[in-house]
Amino acid sequence: MTDNAIEVEGLSKRFRIGTERRDSLKERFVRGSGRYDEFWALRDISFSVPQGSTFGLIGQNGSGKSTLLKMLAGVYRPTDGSIATKGRISALLELGAGFHGELTGRENIYLNGAILGLSRKQIAGAMDEIVSFSGIEEFIDSPVKIYSSGMYVRLGFSIAVTVDPEILIVDEIIAVGDEEFQRKCFDHLYELRRRGTTIVLVSHGLGTVADLCDDALWLDKGKLKSIGPVRDVIDDYLEAVNQKEAEAKERTGEVPAEMDGGRTRRLGSGEIRVTHLEFIDHNGSVAGFLSGGEKCTVRMHYEAEQDLPSVTFGLSFSHESGVNVAGPNSGYGERAMKVLAGGGYVDFHIDDLILQPSTFLVTAAAVDRGHTYDFRDRAFELRVRAQGAVTEPGLIRLPGRWTHSEAAAMPSAEHAEGNRS
Amino acid sequence: MTAPGVLQYRSLIWNFAQRDLKSRFKGTAIGWAWSLLLPLASLFIYTLVAHYIFRAVPEPFGDGRAGNFAVWLFVGLTAWSFFANAVNVSMAALLGTGTLLQKIYFPSFAPVLGAVIGVIIQSAIEIALVLIVLCIFTNVGITWLLLPVWIALFVGFTAGAAMLFAVGNIYFRDLAHIISVVLQLLFYATPVLYQDNLIKDPILHKVILSNPLTEFVLLFRDLAYSLTPGRLNIWAGAVAWTAISLGLATFVFHRYGRDLAEQM
Repeated sequence: MTDNAIEVEGLSKRFRIGTERRDSLKERFVRGSGRYDEFWALRDISFSVPQGSTFGLIGQNGSGKSTLLKMLAGVYRPTDGSIATKGRISALLELGAGFHGELTGRENIYLNGAILGLSRKQIAGAMDEIVSFSGIEEFIDSPVKIYSSGMYVRLGFSIAVTVDPEILIVDEIIAVGDEEFQRKCFDHLYELRRRGTTIVLVSHGLGTVADLCDDALWLDKGKLKSIGPVRDVIDDYLEAVNQKEAEAKERTGEVPAEMDGGRTRRLGSGEIRVTHLEFIDHNGSVAGFLSGGEKCTVRMHYEAEQDLPSVTFGLSFSHESGVNVAGPNSGYGERAMKVLAGGGYVDFHIDDLILQPSTFLVTAAAVDRGHTYDFRDRAFELRVRAQGAVTEPGLIRLPGRWTHSEAAAMPSAEHAEGNRS
Repeated sequence: MTAPGVLQYRSLIWNFAQRDLKSRFKGTAIGWAWSLLLPLASLFIYTLVAHYIFRAVPEPFGDGRAGNFAVWLFVGLTAWSFFANAVNVSMAALLGTGTLLQKIYFPSFAPVLGAVIGVIIQSAIEIALVLIVLCIFTNVGITWLLLPVWIALFVGFTAGAAMLFAVGNIYFRDLAHIISVVLQLLFYATPVLYQDNLIKDPILHKVILSNPLTEFVLLFRDLAYSLTPGRLNIWAGAVAWTAISLGLATFVFHRYGRDLAEQM
């Protein structure tokens, strides 16, 4: 265990549940300590989290994410396997869970801090920071029972993050508080990450996970489905979720879905299908790549089974790193296109391709407002080549002009005064 | 519940104690005065019932003067109510931190010991009052010097019992109700309201004397009221009960105390 903050080996957790649980002495004596309904919340999970990295747990409800977090926090003991952690752990499993309504905010800070393992002196030292971060200075000496739920949560979050944990465990709690406080929380999480805090978090917001995490783990019914770099795991997860949705639709008689080269399962009802894309360069010929700074066209071929009065075509360009660079669409409402049964194509004309040389994944879709006819997630590849040496970093070349004015020529106030005297 | 474990979490234990104390009388008009009014009220009621109705008589003071029943009862009652309060408050405290135990790890002995410390502080005030009253009756002796030893044993015994019942109550919720009956029985099985030599039946007398609470109550009365050092066999009994209580509590904490979150 040299540079891993958390190492989990063959972890399993069994819960005893159901109506057979003996809560009372009488039941225990009368019926003996007989059978329990067993439920394996986790089965043979192994992973490690390197120090200073951010680790995400994803999965559907009931997949065991929260159980795993609680085990990392020490709330539950493993039925089997082991957990080794290095460093002080602070867990944000439920904000303000340790608050006592009759005590004031300040008294609760001491109580919660002590639960998180801090000495009175340490808490006193962090008190000002906690209070100012929570933004409820006026109420800090009032009993917390008069707090609004937002204030409650702010105070809880402030305590947990300002104790400067070495490992922070976060359970789907960022989605609380108002916009301003949420931003503050995120900024603080990023700040902790920069400072080298190891973070393990559960979120159903895949965007959050993708943004914050380095690696991720996907749990399904207590079993480890996929683990690795966050984007790969999210792709696997989405693929499975989409497949599930597609299967459900198949059962209800909707069009079966296929992969068709996309990163996740192809979606849509299928009245119109995007068959393929063509990239047409400035000479008007179909090309294997496009050149930055040139005029070009993306041609989207489709096959429609029937006449459709209102179709919107969309493209989305994602960089290999997962960043979505642009997502133009053909317009909704009056600008939506009328499509007749049969084949055809739509063109997206680009006067000046500002994408920097790289490989981009292209998503193509045909929709009618909320309804999806076809959705091919990152099914196509666009290579952009440089015309000369690349001199700018970044994914796009930002259009703009530079100008330069010499300091001597600038009409500054000082100068003007000097002239007058 | 090992000594270093308890020391490591002393800050948390102290915080739980403060929480208990601060919230107990918050919002009441006379606040902390209740912590003295309540025991004085029961002292008054028991004196009325036991002394004036049932004609119970007190032991003589340490110097042989005729005893005062209220004073004599106050001594025994203070010891008894420390135990009873500690057990009740601990069970409620652990149950009350249940949701918290499901959210974050801390040892389950922390809320229990915090609750016991809260009760110790309350009882300390009562004991101080007892001693002041005894001073007023000029009933002071060298045996008072043994009181700290008695307190240490009694606190140890009570903390162990509180831990046992508090954890037990999480696994079998009936325990809280059983305990309330058992405490009532135990109160009358402890010579608080009467003198133990009042019991003529030899078997019953043995039963009464083998009750651990009897030993602690008798010792306290010997040291503080009768000003005698207490019989050796009673001291030995008190030490044995304290060891048993703490040993069992340690075992129960290690065996069952870590899985409370699942049992809540």
